[in-house]
Amino acid sequence: MHHANHFYGHAHVLAEYCGLNPDDPPRIDGYLQHGWNVVDGLGAGTPYVSGRPIFVWSEQTRRRARSMGRRYATVVGAPFLYLREMASPAPSPEEREGTIYYPFHGWEGQHIAGDHQRLIDEIIETEDGPVTFCLYWHEYQDERTRRRYEKAGRVICHGYRGLRWRDTDTKFLHNQLGELRRHRRVASNRLSSAVLYGASVGCEPAVYGDPMHLAGEETTIAQRIRRQWPELHGKFPDPSAAVESALAELGADVLASPDELRVTLGWAA
Amino acid sequence: MAGWSDAAPAGGSAYGFLLSELRSLVPAGGRVLVAGPHDPALLTGLRAYAEITCFVRSQPDADALSSAGFSVLCGSLAKLTDSDQYDLVVALDGVGRLCSVEGPQFDWAESVQVLRRSLRPGGALLLAVENELGVHRLVDRVTPTAAHTDGDWRPLGEYDETKPGTPSRLRERLAADGLTPGWLATAWPLPSAPTLVIDEPRLRYGPAGALAAVASGVTATAYATRRVLSDPRRLASTAIRGGLGAELAPAWLVLAFRGPAPSLSLPPAVLNDGPLGPLPDGRLLEELLIGACLRHDLPALRQLLTSWVAAAPGVSADNVIVGDSFAVLDPARAAVAPAVAIGHFAATLLAGGYDQPWPHAHDVPSLTAVLLAAAGVSGADLPEISDSAPDSLREHEERVRRLEEQLADAAIRVKYVETELIHRDAELRKARLQIDMFSGKVGYRITRFGMRAARAARRSLRKMT
Repeated sequence: MHHANHFYGHAHVLAEYCGLNPDDPPRIDGYLQHGWNVVDGLGAGTPYVSGRPIFVWSEQTRRRARSMGRRYATVVGAPFLYLREMASPAPSPEEREGTIYYPFHGWEGQHIAGDHQRLIDEIIETEDGPVTFCLYWHEYQDERTRRRYEKAGRVICHGYRGLRWRDTDTKFLHNQLGELRRHRRVASNRLSSAVLYGASVGCEPAVYGDPMHLAGEETTIAQRIRRQWPELHGKFPDPSAAVESALAELGADVLASPDELRVTLGWAA
Repeated sequence: MAGWSDAAPAGGSAYGFLLSELRSLVPAGGRVLVAGPHDPALLTGLRAYAEITCFVRSQPDADALSSAGFSVLCGSLAKLTDSDQYDLVVALDGVGRLCSVEGPQFDWAESVQVLRRSLRPGGALLLAVENELGVHRLVDRVTPTAAHTDGDWRPLGEYDETKPGTPSRLRERLAADGLTPGWLATAWPLPSAPTLVIDEPRLRYGPAGALAAVASGVTATAYATRRVLSDPRRLASTAIRGGLGAELAPAWLVLAFRGPAPSLSLPPAVLNDGPLGPLPDGRLLEELLIGACLRHDLPALRQLLTSWVAAAPGVSADNVIVGDSFAVLDPARAAVAPAVAIGHFAATLLAGGYDQPWPHAHDVPSLTAVLLAAAGVSGADLPEISDSAPDSLREHEERVRRLEEQLADAAIRVKYVETELIHRDAELRKARLQIDMFSGKVGYRITRFGMRAARAARRSLRKMT
């Protein structure tokens, strides 16, 4: 329904899981949560049409959505976990090395205020193995920013999430899964989908470093996130508590069978 | 009363069975008074071991009984003298239909006193007392204090202050009248012809979940075509599970003795025409499923659904007790295809307006489809499900509220789609123009140029004239 359903190839992953053609996912009869958030599962500014389902990742998000007047939130779990279900077995821990770090990015049109270099220094000081920096596509394309990170480690980008059904990198999540599985740790300066994804596929998660606020951003939400998920914050949080919390946020306990997911999303067999 | 007949006499196989169990209370050649309208089948059963006298207020009813060979007293309760005394007085219709229009109109306590006086020392009174706060009253669309039928010439309802309102007050009341209360039981689902009788200790200390399930089942049958305020099954079941079964039962049955109570062994519960068999400890599957839906507990819900399909496929969710295993409550009820059983559960969820994890599935086929998938049933055709829920005002209100909500949502959606359409039309127009512009057709360019030139020429001609 909304073009955000195709972001990161989410709809494509779900179609594959349901046994449908991943290159041409049928229209989802509602709004698919496309990133971890602390509101109702909808992306900021999404023009929600009342009465349509919002397919959210976790029961907690559903409850929050309901409290915000969204009567049609349905829990399906994160598409990344469906990809994990389909993926080949994870590599052994010995094959993992170093840290993949996701510097917090703004989206198109947002500009972050913060010092990339100070962040890089803190990361290098903290991590004892090689660091891979994963940049969001528009930062990756920004020569200056990319160069700065390249001086400190390997720099990658999982792809372009797409806009209005165009230029979507439908293998975005596949790339991300592959990279996460190569690393022992996943970290970011803000709690985000990437950290949760990493935790769900065997990385030890961590959230530290200058949170680099967006220009004009209200910081109370960021503070609330730190208060509510302390187990995921810090340079070396207890991995078992952090992973448990991350799996709950992604809805690991509520994933539907292919049949159930297909019917839930309004996809005929 | 000439020209009068009392409809719907007390009856039913549960009463029949109970009366047969009371045989030991009547000595050989003993006498029984049956006060009030009772089904002839009950009288025939009683006649097997006692000499019966029937007391009725209706003359045609009396004539009919007389021709059937019963001794009959016809008239008003005030005329019942204590010169005749009985070993057993049966008043399963209560005491509400014992006075004719002529003469004094006795309230509950006065009526019971008259019946007590007709007991010989040591005799027993079997009395049914309708509960003014019983489940059947709470869901009734009709108030008992309005005169709806010709028989309601004095519809007191709960305004008869002498009538006890709880089992303990009933006992106190009978004791105050010089009787010794003994066995006390609750009658479900309707006072006049209950199909389920559960004694008080069993109700308080027995397997509450299973007893609630049985009560809910008999209530469903009795109310299949009755219009109600709210679903009586929910109320009956919740009352029993919550420990209020005795207080909210439609009626109480009590045995009271003029003298010390003899030892008497009655089954703790009677269903239809015999003792209720042993019940598994556990909860009704339907209630567990609803609970999981309300909690939005998807793992629990899927677990229940898949276990149901594996252990009791096609058995209705309101006929399965889930304890250590899945036990079928009433094996006599026919099983259906699993998809049909799940479809009925979907209908129950929607008819009751229960919250559930897939709120956008707001019709029976959609919800059935998703429940079937969650249960792991694949390849089943969606069944046609008829609405079997009681016709309830509260659920109607809920349905209206939901429809209003859906209508408002639909209006918003139409508006959104129209706006989108306008945008897309504009995009399409622009795209077509661009295609034409860049299609490189020489003919098009010449025509377009020619049209512009013609327009300009026309304009300048107009200016000149």
